[in-house]
Amino acid sequence: MQTEYQTQRLSLRFFMLMLVLFVVQVIYGMILAAQQVDPTILQGWLNFNVARAEHLNLGIMWIVCGFIGAILFVAPLLAKRELVAPWLVKFLFYAVIGIVIWNFFTQFLAERGIAGWWLGQPWLQQGLEYLEAGRIAGLLILVGFLILAFVVLRTFPRVREWNEVHWGLGLGVGALAVVWVFGLFYVARLDLQEYFRWFVVHYWVEGVWEVIHISLIGYFLVLMFKADVKSVGFAVFWGIALVWLSGLIGNAHHYFWIGTPEFWQFWGSLFSALEPLPLVFCFWHIYLDAHTNKRPLENAPAFYFLLGSTVLELVGAGILGFVMTFALTNVWSHGTWVTAGHAHLALFGTFGMLGIAAAYYATPILRKVPQFDPRLGKLGFWLVFTGVLGMAFAFAIGGTVQVYVYRILGLDWFGGDVNRAMGTYKVMLPLFGLVLSTGAGVLAYDLFTLGRRMRPQAAVDAETTPHPATGWRRPLTGFEAGIWLLLMWLFGTIITLGLLSFNLPHVRVAGDPTLPYVLAGVGYPGLLLVTLLFVWRFIASLEARASAPAISPLLRVLPAQG
Amino acid sequence: MSCGSGDSSCEKPRRRAALVLLGLMALIFIALSVFSFLPSRGQATPDTVSFGPYQANDGKRVFQAYNCMGCHTMVGNGAYLGPDLTEVYKHAGPAWLAAFLPSAGGWPTEAAVRAQLLDPNQHAGTGTDTIDAYLQKYPGAAARIQRRGGGTTLMPNLPLSKDEIGQLIAYLKYTSAMNTEGWPPKVEAGTLDRRLQLAHGTVALAQAAPAAAAKPAAASDPAALGAQLVKDYGCVACHASDDKRLVGPGWGGLYESSVSLADGSKVTADDAYLAESIRQPNAKIVAGYPPGVMPAYDTLLKTEEVNAIVAYLHTLEKQ
Repeated sequence: MQTEYQTQRLSLRFFMLMLVLFVVQVIYGMILAAQQVDPTILQGWLNFNVARAEHLNLGIMWIVCGFIGAILFVAPLLAKRELVAPWLVKFLFYAVIGIVIWNFFTQFLAERGIAGWWLGQPWLQQGLEYLEAGRIAGLLILVGFLILAFVVLRTFPRVREWNEVHWGLGLGVGALAVVWVFGLFYVARLDLQEYFRWFVVHYWVEGVWEVIHISLIGYFLVLMFKADVKSVGFAVFWGIALVWLSGLIGNAHHYFWIGTPEFWQFWGSLFSALEPLPLVFCFWHIYLDAHTNKRPLENAPAFYFLLGSTVLELVGAGILGFVMTFALTNVWSHGTWVTAGHAHLALFGTFGMLGIAAAYYATPILRKVPQFDPRLGKLGFWLVFTGVLGMAFAFAIGGTVQVYVYRILGLDWFGGDVNRAMGTYKVMLPLFGLVLSTGAGVLAYDLFTLGRRMRPQAAVDAETTPHPATGWRRPLTGFEAGIWLLLMWLFGTIITLGLLSFNLPHVRVAGDPTLPYVLAGVGYPGLLLVTLLFVWRFIASLEARASAPAISPLLRVLPAQG
Repeated sequence: MSCGSGDSSCEKPRRRAALVLLGLMALIFIALSVFSFLPSRGQATPDTVSFGPYQANDGKRVFQAYNCMGCHTMVGNGAYLGPDLTEVYKHAGPAWLAAFLPSAGGWPTEAAVRAQLLDPNQHAGTGTDTIDAYLQKYPGAAARIQRRGGGTTLMPNLPLSKDEIGQLIAYLKYTSAMNTEGWPPKVEAGTLDRRLQLAHGTVALAQAAPAAAAKPAAASDPAALGAQLVKDYGCVACHASDDKRLVGPGWGGLYESSVSLADGSKVTADDAYLAESIRQPNAKIVAGYPPGVMPAYDTLLKTEEVNAIVAYLHTLEKQ
């Protein structure tokens, strides 16, 4: 495929910026992991809260850069014309850099207790998790979102001609700005402040980002596998509909303990338990759509990350979110490391990997090197994928120990009691973090220099020799994919029961942690290993499929839509 | 069903039904939200809570300005490096917080908490004026003093002013008063000793207790007595034995040196100045340090104890 529209080239700079921010975010993550082991590291220079604020904000910024890059790349294709106002896009690029640098410096003011109060608003930094940026940066970010929405909506054809992908992206870029506004007010009541803070955080992630994610995944499947637009449109509409039907009231799972009434526990437990439905649905569709043709994989790294994004969305956001979504399990997981395992898999996995996938898809086309060497990209994928799974494991098991020592035993001395019990897992975190960081470095190097390095000819030949499609590489049938899915949910159920077992008098009163420890010790490693093996299996089958015999249509569980 | 999933004649009404359902859900969500914040719920609000002259409303701004949520959780939201702060006021009480917050790098001793109880705001806030009654009322403070008192924490010292400390206490009083529907869950696993036994397999508390209880016999050498007193009273949480700044000025080489004061004058740190700075620390404030952070030890220390501390300060060299 070639670049069809000149303004698609504008996406490249956002992908490169995304990689720079990703690498910096990972460095902050390593500092945080080291500080989890010894909180006095860098104390006074870069306190944990400042490093964490940067880690969260950069995470959001590079994911947004990935979205912008991907949207700018596909918008001209969807509109069948050039982007309007490319100068605005260029301005947006420098504005993003400016905001990131500004926020880098203002976050340090938290060490001196300076928020920049003026007119009742904190203008420099506001010390709220995920929304640490002060009002100045917040308003500039709003302007940035409005620019993006303006460019995309003006480029798109008239609403009457929109298909589901247009609707998904159009609603997505508009809602990105609208939802952000809820974070731009100082609220004095703690319960009301948390209520609105989750408007931004939950509705962004589970309302808006998810919509952009589904639309982009759908459209990239069209581009990569020539999947039928109508079939993908069906998946995009019902994916988005299910996300909103479950996620709108599902936000209630953030309102269990913040001072809002008890009835939220009913609504939150019920509706957010449905939130994995769209994720299972999308998971299934990537299986169907990736199998609509039998040609060899043209751009392996892009597909690896697309698959990783969908699978981690199901496992990290779906299953690990599901386990702690009931009031009776959330009462234990809330405010512990257990939630951090879910957050890392869900946020980096789902949205981060989508951005990297888009960068891998677009960069070779924009640099005119369709025959690029995919080996570094594949290596990078496996490093970040195993790294983030390992980190989720450390968080989840460390968090289970934390629930026992901190909540069941009620010991609140972190230095003397809690950290002592969590020690092993606190050390495991930077170790797996190092694996992910290495992967991030490999990916950034590969994408920066893609098309600018010489490629050894031997590698080309090795790449083009297909493996026989037998054994582990035999074609993946719908039946087998279903078995993998069931296994994931089986381990998810074990994890849920593990969290639930903290309610038993045997654990809570007698203080015996055996049952929750055993269930977590089986559930988390089981789930993460099945995830790793499934992705390996899926990719092995896909890479060998050029030499595969035709799959019997009887084994297809669902017909392709459309 | 009569229509297949790809049949467009069935697809359209289905999609419309999904959108109607979504609208219905939005209405439910809005109704629930309105009910959540009606005054009839009786939820605590920051504008009704104060500690002495300090308002919880102002405390919340201090809490955000220092990004406390970046290390701690509040109602369970935030970072997981340090403990949840929702109920810390309920457990440890305002005097322990007042002793802890200015020098967060060290755990307050019993005497440091006792010094805070002299503050009239503390009287009004706790309804107690003896340390025993206070520790009875706030068992979390007793456990903290017994197990950690005098040790170093993992938290950095923050440049909190006197007012900011009072405001933060007011804010933490407000969060303690909030109805969070039973979170964090009640601990039902028995006594502290039993829980420590379950966590570590040893009774750390029982071992620590005799060490704290066995007060060394009053040393005959005044400097040695002074060295013991500055530990007992938690002075070393704020003052270093060299000339480095922790929270207050370092002590190394202070004796007989020239000190610049906040009002621009200069004094020599003789015995009278040092004794006054212990008894009435706000009488002369060293340039560059905020007033009101150190409590007055006038009524807490006997004359010979003040003299012993001054004698100890004589021995500290600049490093």
